[in-house]
Formats: sequence, structure tokens, C-alpha cells
Amino acid sequence: MNTIPLILYIVAGVAYAVQFTRRSFSASRVASTLLVFAAFAHTFLIGMETMRAGHVPFASATSAISTFVWLLALSYLYIELTTGERSMGVFILPLLIALQAIPAARPMLEERSPLLESPWFGVHVSSLLFAYASFALACVLGITYVLQFKEIKAKHLGFFYARLPSLNVLDEMNLRAVKIGWLFLTVGLIAGAIWGLQLRPSGDPRMQSMSLGDPKIFVAVLCWTLYSFELYAQRAIGWRGRRAAWLSAVGFGIVLLNFVPVSYFFTTNHNF
Amino acid sequence: MQLLLVGVSHRTAPVELRERLDFSARGVDRALASLVGALEHHEAAIVSTCNRVEMYVACDEAEETTTAIHRFLSEFHGVSADQLAPHLYAKTGNEAVHHLFRVAAGLDSLVMGEPQVLGQVKEAFKLASQMGCTGPLLNKLFHSAFTAGKRVRSETTLSEGAVSVSYAAVALARKIFGNLSGRTVLVVGAGEMGKLTAIHMRSQGIGRLIIMSRTAAHAASLAQTIDGTAMPWESLNTAMAEADILISATGASVPIVSRAMVEQTMKARRQRPLFIIDIAVPRDVESTAGDLEQVFLYNIDDLQAVVKENLSKRGTEASEAETIVEEEVGRFAGWLNSRGAVPTVVALRQRFEGIRQSELRRLEPKLANLPPEARARVDEITRLIVEKLLINPTEQLKSISDGETVAAYAELLNRLFGLSPDAADESTRPTAGAGATKKPGL
Repeated sequence: MNTIPLILYIVAGVAYAVQFTRRSFSASRVASTLLVFAAFAHTFLIGMETMRAGHVPFASATSAISTFVWLLALSYLYIELTTGERSMGVFILPLLIALQAIPAARPMLEERSPLLESPWFGVHVSSLLFAYASFALACVLGITYVLQFKEIKAKHLGFFYARLPSLNVLDEMNLRAVKIGWLFLTVGLIAGAIWGLQLRPSGDPRMQSMSLGDPKIFVAVLCWTLYSFELYAQRAIGWRGRRAAWLSAVGFGIVLLNFVPVSYFFTTNHNF
Repeated sequence: MQLLLVGVSHRTAPVELRERLDFSARGVDRALASLVGALEHHEAAIVSTCNRVEMYVACDEAEETTTAIHRFLSEFHGVSADQLAPHLYAKTGNEAVHHLFRVAAGLDSLVMGEPQVLGQVKEAFKLASQMGCTGPLLNKLFHSAFTAGKRVRSETTLSEGAVSVSYAAVALARKIFGNLSGRTVLVVGAGEMGKLTAIHMRSQGIGRLIIMSRTAAHAASLAQTIDGTAMPWESLNTAMAEADILISATGASVPIVSRAMVEQTMKARRQRPLFIIDIAVPRDVESTAGDLEQVFLYNIDDLQAVVKENLSKRGTEASEAETIVEEEVGRFAGWLNSRGAVPTVVALRQRFEGIRQSELRRLEPKLANLPPEARARVDEITRLIVEKLLINPTEQLKSISDGETVAAYAELLNRLFGLSPDAADESTRPTAGAGATKKPGL
């Protein structure tokens, strides 16, 4: 089922690549339309899954990725529609495609243990997924900032200079995305902590090991520290522009680490 | 009917002559009215810009009309014909079409790819059509030229990239800051160069303009003329901390802004980006200042390098643009040629209808006995037979877009059906633009 949105994302990705390199107006409209279709198909899929399982599909690592891709696609579309800026698409789409390939390859079995019925769990996961989507956007904005910055600094105004929005816009959007992401990350972490404390007496062995020693929690706290630093440094010591851009790019790298390898290979307990 | 272009441009005439021939001083509408009067013909349009004066007309005799236009130009502007003749060019048919399309695409402009010319061509056509001077040929011609111009603009990057130093500086500022409104610009040096750049920045809707000069009086007088604020030379550091864009254009022989100064300023401004444009020779700003994070330093050589690169990019785009122009010329030629079949079609229809009518007249005595309804039916049936017989040939003829084939078909049909010599003559010369050009078709 996850292959249908995947195929649509791939087709849209090709269209975004064409519109970016050729800067053709018609291709850009095609690209946006395709992405809207992909997001629709994905919405439909997640809706079906929700009806079948009785809750939003994010209780297993695989279905959480699918939901994350869906959220990211919607967030990107929102930005594209409100700003009219399409040049980020060519950077976002590969990410969507790579991540969506995981649920497309693995069946999405949404079996929910009774432990997860707490509303705190819902808040925990949905906040984090939304935070990660924001960080993904911040990462792309950061990368494009650096690409553009390098060309201007090197006084060689080339490929990216002609295609990307101004440094100021990229910088401001990056910081806004980080702020939103940080807010949701904080909420998600707090909700997770409350939920964990509530369930501690339940006697489930998995619940006992929820501490900073858990790789997933550790990496999430690491992300929180990094993004907190980015926001602080930007105000206090003028770490804006390229430095903030790098932090955003690196930060999402860590998020991805948490999302894929940690979920599948390292954690034995935090993989509901 | 064929297309004729007579004109002068920056390629053929010096600016003094172009100035004298510029119609806009005395009104292009008046000029067009007297041109149409002089030619005794309806289809005409004048494209008049500071770099070119061109007249596009649909005429029957190219050579005669060319002479008439020469005479008109010489009389209208009071320039002797001998003085004019060496600078004028005349093109007909395909070449004239090609020329207009290149003009509209900005390929014939002084600065390759400049976008204004398309608007000027549009204005020229609008005026001509408002004055009722255009017909089917010029209507189609100009609309096709607009298509060619638009395609070049959207499918190539011919018009992209600043091609003057001041535009390059503004474009860079926009790439760094986005919108320039509300930004503070500091101009150091009240000389001519500083003044020009300041005026240019003013027109970009910036917020504040600070002028600074070693001679306070110069700064004050410049600030007054261009609506800026003069600040004393001693407050350079303070002003730099406030500014987003620093334009330096003094005549100083040693750098007046050191790297250490910029570094200090960047701390004071909390690393807000600073764009320094150093257009002074010798340079005003230590070049190592550009290594600082969030400082973007461009000197006059850097800006000139950007301009040069943009110009060479335009050069490479030009061949792509030429291809688009060729395509559009081909399409227009196709339209003209398919129009060339129209006289043959008309002649063929007249011939068939003539036969039908004469046969009906010949049978009149026999048909006279029939009741009126039956006579009407006979008329109806014969008309339908003729119609049906002609449907296919008509469609076929109209679909041919190649001039030679049109001529061959016309010749054949003339012989087979003995079409009227008038129509035959028309249809063997199918294109309105043929005539003087030796090319087949157009």
C-alpha cells in the first residue's frame, strides 16, 4: 500500500528536479500538482490505516516513518503554497522518497500494545514527528543557505545563485523552522517522560529501562541540546547565517540517525 | 501582397542620425498617419526606440515602396535622401519576419537580451492597430513576434543576469538581503561615483541613506540633493554598525576601512550580514575584510567580473534563442503559405459553381414544367454534389504549408480545371511575402 505514494513521490521528485535545473514554469506547476496528488494518496492511505487500526498509525517504527513522510510532505506543501517558493522541493523530495521506501519495503503491521493507549503516548509521538518534520525543513533550508553562501563568498555566481531565494529569507525560514521544531520536541519529550513515569508501576519490563541510557532517548535529548544551543547562539553570540545553517543540517542528521538505525538496530525497548 | 521592412538601427547608423530619425519626439501616431498617406496603403507599423527606427508595411511592390519610404523619411525629418540611404536597410518576406522576431526577442539589441524592447514592439503594434493601420498580415506578424519574444524569455536565460556594475551590485544585495526596503545604506565618498550609486540605491526603496565624506560640506550638499542624511566623518564606525550595505567610493590613496574596523563593527552589529561594495580605485576597504563571516565584500573588479560572466552567458544562450526564433519564423511562413492556397480554393469553387449554374440555366426549359418544390430540390441536390466534391480538395489545399507544393498544386489545378487566369496568377504567387526574396515560398 505504501508503494503508491512512493511512486507518486518519485514522479514528483523528477518533476521538481526538472523544474529546478531548467527553471521551467510549466514543469514547476506539474511538480506541485504531482506532489499534491502524492500527499492526497498518502493521506488516504493513513486514513485507511487509522480506520482499520482504530488509531493513527505511528505505534510501530515503520508506520511512524510513513506518518512522518506524510507530515513532512504536508508541511512542505504548506510552505510552498504560502511563499510560492519551489526551489526547496528538489531537496525535500529525495528525503521523502528515501524514507518512504522503508514502509514500502516492509509491511506496516500496526499492533498496539495496551501500554500505548495512554493519551500521553499520542501527544509524545505526534509532537516528535511534527518536530522532526520541522527539523527536516530546517535542514534543507540550512543546506541551501550554505550552497548559496559559498557562491556569493567565492564571487562565483553560478547554478544555485540563479535558483535559490535570498540568504536572508533562507536564514529566517531556517530559524523559524527550528523554533517550531524545538517547541514540539520539548512538548514531545515532556509528554514521553510523563507517560513513562505513569507506566512505571505497570511492571512491563520495557518500561523499566526507560532512562537516558536508552539510545533513542539519549539521541533525542542530544538533539534537544543542539537545537537549544542553535536558538541561544543565534541570539546571544550572533551565530546566524552559515553557522545556524550548519547546526540545522547536522541536527537533522542526528534526528535521522534516531529515526532509522536506532529504531531498527539499537534499541530493544523503545520500539513500540 | 508582401511584407517589407525599411529601417535604421544602432548597427547601421550613428547615434546622431538615429536621434534625428527618432519619431517619438514628434509623435509616432502623426508619423504613422503620414506614412500611410504617403504609401496609399493600409497595413503599416512603426517601431521607434532610441536604438532603432523601423517601418513594417504590407505592399505590392517592394522596390517602389522602399523608394517611397526613403522619400517619406527624408521629407518627414528633413534629412537629405543621400545622407540617409547608406544607413537604411530594407528586407522583404522571410528576412523581414526574421528581423522583427529577433528584435522582439532582444537578440538585435545593443545590450543583448534586454527585456524592454518586447514592450516597445508591443506598443508599436498597439498604436498601429488602434489607428487602423494593421490588417491580417501585420496582425499575425506582430502576434507571432510576441510569441517568439515570450518564448525566448521563458525558455532561455538570455535576459538574465545584470549586465552593468550598478545592477550587479543591486542584484547581489537582493540575493543577500531579499527585499531591500527598510535597509540602511551608507555611502562613503561624495564624488560622482558615490552619487550615482546612491541614487541607484534610492530607487530600490531602501529605508535610510547615510552620506559621509571627509569634507563635511560635500556630504551635506549631496545628502540634500538625494534625500539622505549626512553624518560626520568621525562617526564612520557608528554608521557602519547601523548599515546593511556599505558603498565606498572615495578618492583616498590608502584603504580607509581596515579589516580590524570591520571585525569590530561586526561584533557591534551582532553579526548581522554586511554587504560592502568597494567601487573606489585604489580600493577603500582592506580585501581581507571579506574573509570575515557574514561580510560580503565585492570590489569594482569583482563586480565587473560578474557582469562579464553574465554577458558571456547571454552569448551562449543566444544560439538557443536564435533556434527558437527560427522555429517561429518557420511557423509564420507555414501560416503564410497556407494562406497562399486561398486564391486557388476560391477559383476552384467559383469554377464548379459556375458550371452548376450554367447547367441549370441550360436545362431551364425542361425544368420549367416541374412544380416549385421539385425545382428547389434539383437546386439543392446539385449544390450538395458540388459541395461534397469540393470538401476534400479544399481541406487538402489548406493544409499544405510548404510554398513550393502550394504553387505546384495551384499550377496543376489551373490546368486541369482551366481556372481563370486572374486566380491562377494569384495562386502561383502564393505567399504575401514572396516577391523580392529568391527563396521558394516566402
